[in-house]
Amino acid sequence: MKLRRTENVHAVTLEAPRTGHAAAPSFAAVAEELLDDVYGYLLYMTKNWAIAEDLTSETFETALRRWRRFDPRRGTHRAWLLAIARSVALDWFRADARRRRREERSGVDALHEEREPAFGEGLSAELQEALRALSAGEREVVALRIVLDLEGEEVARLLGITPTAVSTRLHRALGKLEERMRDHDVA
Amino acid sequence: MTSPDLIHELRESRPAAPTDLRARVREIAREESVRVPVRSRFRLPVRRGALVALPAAAALALVSAGAIGLSRSDGSETAALESNGALTLNSSRAPTAETTTQTLSGSDEKRTALDSAVGPTAGRAQRVSATLTVEVKNSDGVSRAAQEALDLTRRLGGHVVSANVVTGEEGSAALTVRVPVDRVQEAVVQLSGLGRIVSQQVKIDDLQGTLDRLDRRERSVQAQIAILVARLDSDSLDATTRARLEARLTNLRGELRTLRRGIAGTNAEARMATVQLAVVTPDSGAVAPASRLDRALEEALNVLVWEGVIVLAILIVAAPFALVAFAAWLGRRLYRRREEDRLLAT
Repeated sequence: MKLRRTENVHAVTLEAPRTGHAAAPSFAAVAEELLDDVYGYLLYMTKNWAIAEDLTSETFETALRRWRRFDPRRGTHRAWLLAIARSVALDWFRADARRRRREERSGVDALHEEREPAFGEGLSAELQEALRALSAGEREVVALRIVLDLEGEEVARLLGITPTAVSTRLHRALGKLEERMRDHDVA
Repeated sequence: MTSPDLIHELRESRPAAPTDLRARVREIAREESVRVPVRSRFRLPVRRGALVALPAAAALALVSAGAIGLSRSDGSETAALESNGALTLNSSRAPTAETTTQTLSGSDEKRTALDSAVGPTAGRAQRVSATLTVEVKNSDGVSRAAQEALDLTRRLGGHVVSANVVTGEEGSAALTVRVPVDRVQEAVVQLSGLGRIVSQQVKIDDLQGTLDRLDRRERSVQAQIAILVARLDSDSLDATTRARLEARLTNLRGELRTLRRGIAGTNAEARMATVQLAVVTPDSGAVAPASRLDRALEEALNVLVWEGVIVLAILIVAAPFALVAFAAWLGRRLYRRREEDRLLAT
């Protein structure tokens, strides 16, 4: 059963790689083209649209500062921007963890502004709920491999893990989603 | 719901950036034309820089070794005669130089060049030593040349320090003689005439400075002795002072004796020149003088070896630091990875 699911995932997700950019596009053009990708990735990571918007802005600000350093031979604009977005997201996770620890120590029952997650227009409430239940690492691989349709190798490079580990993480995440959805159906 | 259905739904509901975020990012992108960091235009990636720097360093090492080899093979104080008989003479002998060395290798028709260039300076104390290698046709020639050299030494008023003559198929002779310094040029010329010159070197060490210092010190000591003797002759000295002055006088007289021996020895050294003569045959394995190219290659190789030694030393010193830095980098990377995993597990 599991093997079949693996095959299906590959059959569905493996598509021809997107064509690279031609002669040196401007930052504005790249930002315009890849804004949805960066935002979508950060939304899946943070589960919060307001935070995702802030982090997206921060990502593009950082990207602009480093724009001249971009080397097209080392990867696509998309992979480069997503790497920056990942770094920005991890910084936010660190700050968030510190904040939570501080609140726990001071005994303050902090009011966490848990906004209604909106992973995308048209997603069923059950799937949204199931996505929320995943860990950030699992949502990250779902976002990169399925939503943004990145190649396994590209995702592996971005996350600093092996392609096999990417596949494993993805299958585990899909398995959890499937299970959650099944539970909903039964209920 | 199966995985393909999930994947389909996830892809169909791909998040789109809201309009206000798009406007915000467009605003950021507008700064592109304003922010053009000049410095970053000239950035050279580390790997590409290393790819350029390493061959460049190797080429520089080779070129410098070649240049040093060529310049050294020229020899600033060496007159070298190539095997084809062409003479190059580059003497930088200055009147105040402590040591002058001149070397000549090759046939005897060029001998006069060295004869005129080398010789003790009249009126200065100098230690002169000459080394000659002459080649004769056969073993008989060796005996004859050795005998003539001994006769010549006696004629010039010198004496033999050592003589070693080997006869037979590969005959050779090694003589060390001392001749009066004012006749050393004559000795060199005549000894060079015993056969074909293979190599010839004349070395002059200036002893005048040493001799002048010894003379000055001698005069000073003599003056001090005279003063002390005069003081000791007076009756007004107490016993302690007298004893102290007498002890000092004794020391000064001892020093004067040593100084006089030194002056005499230096003068003796400057009076006689040492000539070392080697007589060889073509069969006795005398090494032909190296050509300039050979010398240049040899010098270049020496420089390369030294460069290698320096690089190796730097590597040995830097290796532990590099290892520590690598371990620190690896540890930090591992820590970051674990921290990321922990953060993303929530």
